[in-house]
Amino acid sequence: MYSPFKSTSASRRRLRIALPILLLVASTAFARPPVPTSNLQAAQLAIANAERVDAATHAGVELGEARGKLAAAQRAVEEKEMVVAQRFADEARVEAELAAAKAGAAKAIAVNKDIERTTATLIDEMQRKTGESR
Amino acid sequence: MNTTNYSVTSSLIKVVVAAVLLASCASTPTRPAGSAEVRAKLTALQSDTALASGAPVALKEAESAVVVAEMIEKDLALAAHRVYIADRKVDIARALAVTHVAEQQRTALVEQGEKARLDSRTREADLARNEAAEQKLQAGQARSEADAALVAANSAQQQAMELQRQLEILQARPTDRGLVLTLGDTLFATGKSEIKSGATANLDKLTAFLNEYPQRTAVIEGYTDSMGSEEMNQSLSQRRADAVKGYLVGRGVSSERLSASGRGENSPVADNESAAGRQQNRRVEVVISPGAP
Repeated sequence: MYSPFKSTSASRRRLRIALPILLLVASTAFARPPVPTSNLQAAQLAIANAERVDAATHAGVELGEARGKLAAAQRAVEEKEMVVAQRFADEARVEAELAAAKAGAAKAIAVNKDIERTTATLIDEMQRKTGESR
Repeated sequence: MNTTNYSVTSSLIKVVVAAVLLASCASTPTRPAGSAEVRAKLTALQSDTALASGAPVALKEAESAVVVAEMIEKDLALAAHRVYIADRKVDIARALAVTHVAEQQRTALVEQGEKARLDSRTREADLARNEAAEQKLQAGQARSEADAALVAANSAQQQAMELQRQLEILQARPTDRGLVLTLGDTLFATGKSEIKSGATANLDKLTAFLNEYPQRTAVIEGYTDSMGSEEMNQSLSQRRADAVKGYLVGRGVSSERLSASGRGENSPVADNESAAGRQQNRRVEVVISPGAP
C-alpha cells in the first residue's frame, strides 16, 4: 500500500490520519472541562443517606466534613475549577459513606450493649429473687 | 602525558556521567506522601482476624484505592486526593466489618437473653413449686400440731378421769368448799393424837394425790365427839390435824400447801347420843382446794 515513490499521495494520506488527531488534541486543549454533575449528585446522595441513618448523632465529625467538601466542590464549580470540583465531590461522597458506616457500627454496638444490659438485669433480678427465698 | 591527561579526563567524564545517572535514579519520584500510612492501616485491618472477613467487598475496594494511592504521581494534588480517598475507604471497610461482627455477636447475645429468660421462668416455677411444697409441709405441721393438741386434750381428759378415779379411791366428796376427804377415827387410838401405823392406807393415797397435783392445797380439820371437856377436845382435834399435816409433810408435800386446824366438838356430822354417831363425829376432814389440776 505504502509506496515511497508516491511521495505526494503518501503525505496526503499522512495528513488524513493526523488531522482528526490534531483536531481532537485542539478540542481537548481548548474545550472547557464539563461540570462533574454525576460526582456532585453522588456526593449529595451519600450525604442524604448518611443523614437518614442518624450519622448526625453517631458520626457528626465525618458528616460535617462531607458537607464541607460538597460546599467546596460547589464553590470550585462556580470558579470553573472542574477538576478540583470533581475531587472535592468524590471526597465528600466517600466521607459521607464513612459517616454512614460509622453510624451503622455505633448503632450495632449500642443495640448489643442494650441486649447485654437487659440480660444482665434479668440475671440479677433472678438471683435476687432466688436469694430472698433461700 | 597528553594521552594520560586524555585518559584521566575521559575517566572523569565517566564518573560524572555515572554520578548524574545515580542522582537521576535517586531523584526518581517516590510514592505519594501519606500512602505508606494508608497501606499500614489497611494491613492492620487485614491482619485483624476478627474484622478481616467482616466486609470483604469494602475491603477489596479499599485495597484497590490504596494501590491507586501508592502510584507515583507528579500532580501532588491528585496524589493527595487519592490518598484521602484510600484512607476513607479503609475506614469504611473497618466500620462495616465492626458492624458485621456486632451483628454476628447479637445472635449469641439474643440466645443468652432467651436462655436467661427461660432460666428465670424455670426458677420462678421452681420457687412456686417449693413454696407450694413448703405450704404443704406447714399444713402438715399444723395438722400434726392439731393432732398433738387433740392428744393433749385427750390426755387432759384422761388426767381428769384419773383424778376422778383417785378421788373415788380417796372417797372424797365434792362440796362447795372443795373436795372433802374424811379420815375416820380408826386413824387414832382413843384420846391420842399419834397416827396408828396400820391405818395409813387412806393417808398414803392422799399423799400420792397431792404429790401428783402440786397446784392443789389442802385444809386439814380435826373434829371430836362431845365427850369430855371442850378445851380438851379442841386441843385434841388440833393435835390430830397437826399429826395428819406432819405425816403429809414427812412424805414430801410442801407445808405451804397445807393448813391444819382443830375444830373440837363443832360441826358434828352425826348424833352424839349414840356410840355410832360419836364414832362418825370423831374424824379428820381434808378439804382439797379446787385449784388447777
